Amino acid sequence: MLGDEEKNDKAEEYLNGWKRAQADLINYKKDEAGRLEGVLKFGNESILMEIISVTDSFDFALASMEKTGPVEKGICLIKTQIDDLLKRHGIEKIFAKAGDVFNPAMHEAIATAEVSEQSGTIVEEIESGYTLHGKVVRPARVRVSK
Amino acid sequence: MPKILGIDLGTTNSAMAIVENGEPKIIENQEGNRTTHSVTAINKSGERLVGLLAKRQAVTNPKNTISSVKRLIGRKFSDSEVQHDKKLLPYEIKESSSGGVEIKMADRWYKPEEISAMVLAKLKADAESKTGEKIEKAVITVPAYFDDSQRQATKNAGEIAGLKVERILNEPTAAALAYGLTKKKDEQIVVYDFGGGTFDVSVLEIAEDTVEVKATGGDTHLGGDDFDKKIIDYLVIEYKKQEGIDISKDPLALQRLREAAERAKHELSVSLETEINLPYVSSDASGPKHFLMKLTRAKLESLVMDEIERSIKLTKETVKSAGFEMKDVDEIILVGGQTRMPAMQEAVKKAFGKEPHKGVNPDEVVAVGAAIQAEILAAKEEGRKPAGEVKDVLLLDVTPLAFSIETFGGVATPMIPKNTTVPTAKTQIFSTAADNQTSVEIHIVQGERAMAADNKTLARFILDGIPTSPRGVPQIEVTFDIDANGILSVSAKDKATGKSQSVKIEASTSLSKDEVERLKNEAAQYSEQDLKKREIAETRNQADSLLYLVEKTLKENADKITEELKNEITKKNDALKIAKDSNDINAIKTATSELSTELQKIGKQMYNKEDGGSKPDKGS
Repeated sequence: MLGDEEKNDKAEEYLNGWKRAQADLINYKKDEAGRLEGVLKFGNESILMEIISVTDSFDFALASMEKTGPVEKGICLIKTQIDDLLKRHGIEKIFAKAGDVFNPAMHEAIATAEVSEQSGTIVEEIESGYTLHGKVVRPARVRVSK
Repeated sequence: MPKILGIDLGTTNSAMAIVENGEPKIIENQEGNRTTHSVTAINKSGERLVGLLAKRQAVTNPKNTISSVKRLIGRKFSDSEVQHDKKLLPYEIKESSSGGVEIKMADRWYKPEEISAMVLAKLKADAESKTGEKIEKAVITVPAYFDDSQRQATKNAGEIAGLKVERILNEPTAAALAYGLTKKKDEQIVVYDFGGGTFDVSVLEIAEDTVEVKATGGDTHLGGDDFDKKIIDYLVIEYKKQEGIDISKDPLALQRLREAAERAKHELSVSLETEINLPYVSSDASGPKHFLMKLTRAKLESLVMDEIERSIKLTKETVKSAGFEMKDVDEIILVGGQTRMPAMQEAVKKAFGKEPHKGVNPDEVVAVGAAIQAEILAAKEEGRKPAGEVKDVLLLDVTPLAFSIETFGGVATPMIPKNTTVPTAKTQIFSTAADNQTSVEIHIVQGERAMAADNKTLARFILDGIPTSPRGVPQIEVTFDIDANGILSVSAKDKATGKSQSVKIEASTSLSKDEVERLKNEAAQYSEQDLKKREIAETRNQADSLLYLVEKTLKENADKITEELKNEITKKNDALKIAKDSNDINAIKTATSELSTELQKIGKQMYNKEDGGSKPDKGS
């Protein structure tokens, strides 16, 4: 048989273990809620990225198309629909134009150019970049002056 | 208590993890990624960049962007590896006064450990901001072949970054820890680590409390990056054949191709064929040109087969130099993202004649192992048991098989499914199957089969004294409660009278291991047959409910229904009664649905009558 003191020690140990388990559960729930928020915000990142690569192709098509007739206008409107869809889901375009200072937090240099401009400035945007709820999901691919 | 960070400091990528609540967890960096590029740079304005940001500006600043510093750390400048790499590296290196290596970044010469320290400092800062705790200690992994000077230099890198390095751990040992293999005595383990830029193979022997590295091998210039390059080269050449255009000089086309190739590589790990579709990739005098090409898994495999075969050859040599035969190896662990490739897994499996471990994410397995080692050290320091092992002691049991209750038609209705962690309890309301039923039998079974009779009976008891009422009206609350010792208590209570009965079943979860296996196998074997039986039972139950409803409706509304409809319903009713006793599920379903259609006509007739005595609806 256990003595009183031993019994108290055991009781204390179990109580602490139980409190710890309760606390772990509460903390887990909090972490889980935070994680869920992330999942809701960024869970569709991969599919949005794939849609973006389709809109890239769309841009190329539009660029090589005459923009006069009503049919062409209709196609441009479809492109706008897709852009609006992306916007509603938190996608924003990163604006990178010639003359901007190169910033690796937003831009990725994929080529350089020998030009008269100050080194470290963007010469040309090669591929658009995007953010999803503020997080850069694709940097703007740019050519940078040497 | 301060956390000890587990760090996999890799040649191309690094990762970090901690043990939280007994579970190792990868910590994301500031950019939200689970791995961090091991790249450091100083840009034109003198700003220090580490990881993704350093990588993004590498093209504009190649001389001041330092990657793969792990190839140089702790080595002599005269080392043949260093001399070989010197030709490949885009940045400048020189011999230091002590014969080591120095690297030029911006206007200063740095020791390799100072560069590594910048990567470690970022990991430390990101981990602190993610966990909200100060991190001052770390376990850092190194390749098993690292000599004393390389280990010391790595340790110094940690100290420069403000981390007390509690342990320098071998990468393959970390991988074995992540799989919990270090507890197995007298086992031979091979770790096949195919990284981005390096291939390492190690043979470990687990003895009493020690992990001994018996041999290491590999190729410091063989990795997944070679695969990507091969795929892109192939696509560029094919496109040139097709369209006569060389897109390798067009940075945009190449960028799009690189992304598409990477996606294709990943896709071919799960499917046999994929299509690379890049509209408007280039143009010539005749107008825009598109890139459309099918890439099969077989083609991808043929492109990289030489590399895979080389890795297998190196693996065999390493096992041999450890003094073992391939068949002596007990466990094989795959590390590195490229090992997701089915052809690579297959080649490893074929070489050893057994399945390699691959449950833990191969990009993260080393960091996970480092975190486990960190937890073991932290626990020792604090005089407690490591969190993972505390769980072993306090291990909460799970139910090996489902606990069910028999319901109408002999169906086993699960109350507590298998693999539920105990202690647990579950309550559900049941009712009676017949009118004026005054008692119910609670039949408790254990097993995975669909019908109660095929499972193991644990107990039966009767709850009586239910007040007479139509079927489905009484509410019988049944509770299954399993305590931490696996003792199952079942109680049934009639909510109307408050009368209850209960039974305690001791040792219900302690079926012998063989018995559990047998029951599981049986369940798998009979699953299809069981499902059919259950479906029949459920269909019969539905038929039964309908028959009951018809009887009741006819009795209650005898005066409101035309004789014609009454005859029609009785006919269908008899048909269903006959069908119900057969084993033909379709016949029961058809008869049920026909009777149900007839039954709906009653309602229609009654409404029509109430609408001002219009004529009963005939025929429709």
